[in-house]
Amino acid sequence: MNRIAKTLLVLLAAGWLQPLAAADDRLTLTGSSTVAPLALEIGKRFERENPGVRVDVQTGGSSRGINDARLGLADIGLVSRALNAEEKDLTAYTIALDGIGIILHRDNPVRQLSVEQIVDIYTGKTRNWRELGGPDKPITAVNKAEGRSTLELFLHYFALKNSQIRAQVVIGDNQQGIKTVAGNPGAIGYVSIGSAEFEQKRGVPIRLIPMDGVEASVAAVRDGSYPLSRPLNLVVKGKPPALGERFIGFARSAAVNDLVEAQFFVPLEP
Amino acid sequence: MGEKLAERTFTTAVWLSVALVAAVFLWIVADVALRGFSTLSWSFLSQAPGDAGRTGGIAPILVSTLLILSIALAVAVPLGLAVAVWLSEFTRAGRGGDTMRLFLDVLAGVPSIVYGLFGNAFFSIYLGLGFSLLSGGLTLACMILPVFIRTCEAGLGAVGSEWRLGALAAGMTHGAAVRHILLPAAAPAVAAGLVLGIGRATAETAALIFTSGYVDRIPGSLLDSGRALAVHIYDLSMNVTGGDAAAYASALVLIALIALLNVLAQALTDNWLSRRITPL
Repeated sequence: MNRIAKTLLVLLAAGWLQPLAAADDRLTLTGSSTVAPLALEIGKRFERENPGVRVDVQTGGSSRGINDARLGLADIGLVSRALNAEEKDLTAYTIALDGIGIILHRDNPVRQLSVEQIVDIYTGKTRNWRELGGPDKPITAVNKAEGRSTLELFLHYFALKNSQIRAQVVIGDNQQGIKTVAGNPGAIGYVSIGSAEFEQKRGVPIRLIPMDGVEASVAAVRDGSYPLSRPLNLVVKGKPPALGERFIGFARSAAVNDLVEAQFFVPLEP
Repeated sequence: MGEKLAERTFTTAVWLSVALVAAVFLWIVADVALRGFSTLSWSFLSQAPGDAGRTGGIAPILVSTLLILSIALAVAVPLGLAVAVWLSEFTRAGRGGDTMRLFLDVLAGVPSIVYGLFGNAFFSIYLGLGFSLLSGGLTLACMILPVFIRTCEAGLGAVGSEWRLGALAAGMTHGAAVRHILLPAAAPAVAAGLVLGIGRATAETAALIFTSGYVDRIPGSLLDSGRALAVHIYDLSMNVTGGDAAAYASALVLIALIALLNVLAQALTDNWLSRRITPL
C-alpha cells in the first residue's frame, strides 16, 4: 500500500514537471514594477482572446527589463522610460504615458516650489521648510532606489547626478513613495501622477504641487503640457517572434485603453 | 522591606514585559483583522485576482504558496535532519563540525534578498529552471536549512548521554539509536525548527520575487511561475495603487495560514516522532 502510494506520488511529480504550454505559445515579459501590473492585465486579456497562449509577467525594475531583453531571458522587456543612447540595440514600443509629480504632505503649507528650490532640497542645501516659507520642520527628501526609471527621469529633468543627492529615505515602488510622504509631514517625494491623484482624492494626506508652474494632473500629461512625463515601453532586441509582435500590437491598440486607465496611466490614443 | 520592594519591582517588570510583547502582537493582528475582514469572503479565497489584484481573490496565489512551501519542506527537512544528526552524533568536537556550525550560523543571518539573488542566479538561470515554483521552493529550502539544522542539533545535543549509553548497552547500532531513541527524544526541537522554518518560508517575499515570480494564475506544473502570498501582499501594498484592502485581506489569510500550519506541524511531529519511543 505504502509502495503504491509512493509510486503514485513519483508519477504525479513527474507529470507536474512537464510544462503545459510549449515554448512557442508562451511569452515572458520582465522589468519595470510600474508597468508589470498593466502588462499582467493586458496579458490576461490577450490570453482570453488567443486560447492556448500564455503570457508570464515578472517584475524587478526597468534595468532588469533592459538586461533580460538583451540576454534573451525575456521575450519582451518592460521599461518605464525612453531608451537612452547606449540602449539603441533595443526597440521600444510605447503602450502608455505616465507623469511624475512632486508630492508634499497635505499639512505642509508650501504650495509651489521652483526648479532651483527642488534641486536645493534634494542636494541638501535646503534642509528646513522654514527657508521656503513653511513651518520650522526638517525636510525629509524621499528618493528612489538605483535602477528605478523614475529616479533616472527625475535626475535628468533636474540635471542632477545621483551622487549629489542627499536623501533621508530611499524607496522602491511608487506606492511606497506615497505612503512614506503621507506618514511624514516634513517629507517631499516624487511619484506617478495618476496614483497620487487617486490617493489624494481618497483622502490620503498628500498634495501634488505644480511642476515649473504647470499643474500636475493626468489631464496635463494627456495634452502634453506637463513637462515631466515618461513613456511606458515594451522593448525587444531585434525582431520579436510572431507572437510577441501580435502582443505588442494588441498592447498598443485602443482595445486596452480601459486597462491602461485602470492602472492610472494615460492611454496613447483616447 | 527593601527585599520585598525589589521582589515586587522584579515581578512587575516581568509582567509588564509580557504585556508589552502580547500587546504588540495583538495590535498587529487586530489592525490586520479590522482592515482586512470586510474584504475577506469565500469568493476571495476561491477566485482568481482581477485588476492587478484589487478585485477578485487569491485562489491561484494560495495554491502557489502551498506548492512552494511543500517543495521547500520536502527538500529541507530530510537534508536538515541528516546534517543535524551528523553534527550532533557523528563528529567529535573539532574542526569539521565547528566550521560547519560557523557556516550555518553565518548563513542563518544572511538577509533573504541575498538568497533570492542566489536562487535567481543559480536555480533560475544557471540550472535553467527559470521563474518557477521549483526555483522558489529550492531557494526557500536553502534559506530555512541553517536555522532548522541548528535547532535540531541543539535538540539532539540536549538529549542526555545516558540515553546513548543505554542504547549502546542494549546492543543497538549507531543508526538504530539515532532513529529509535535520539530523534524521537529530540522531537520538540525538531517541531520548533519546523515551525520556525514554515513561518519564515510562508512569509517570505524577497527570496521569492525573483525566483518563483509574479505570475498570478494557477500553476499548471512545478516549472511554472507562481506568485506567493507574501509577494502578492507586497505588490498590492507597495506597487498597486488602490490595492490596500485586498492587501490587508491577504495578510489576514497569511497570518491564519501560518497559525494553521504551525499547529499542524507541531501535531505531526509530536505524533510521528514521539510515538516511536514507546513501543521499542
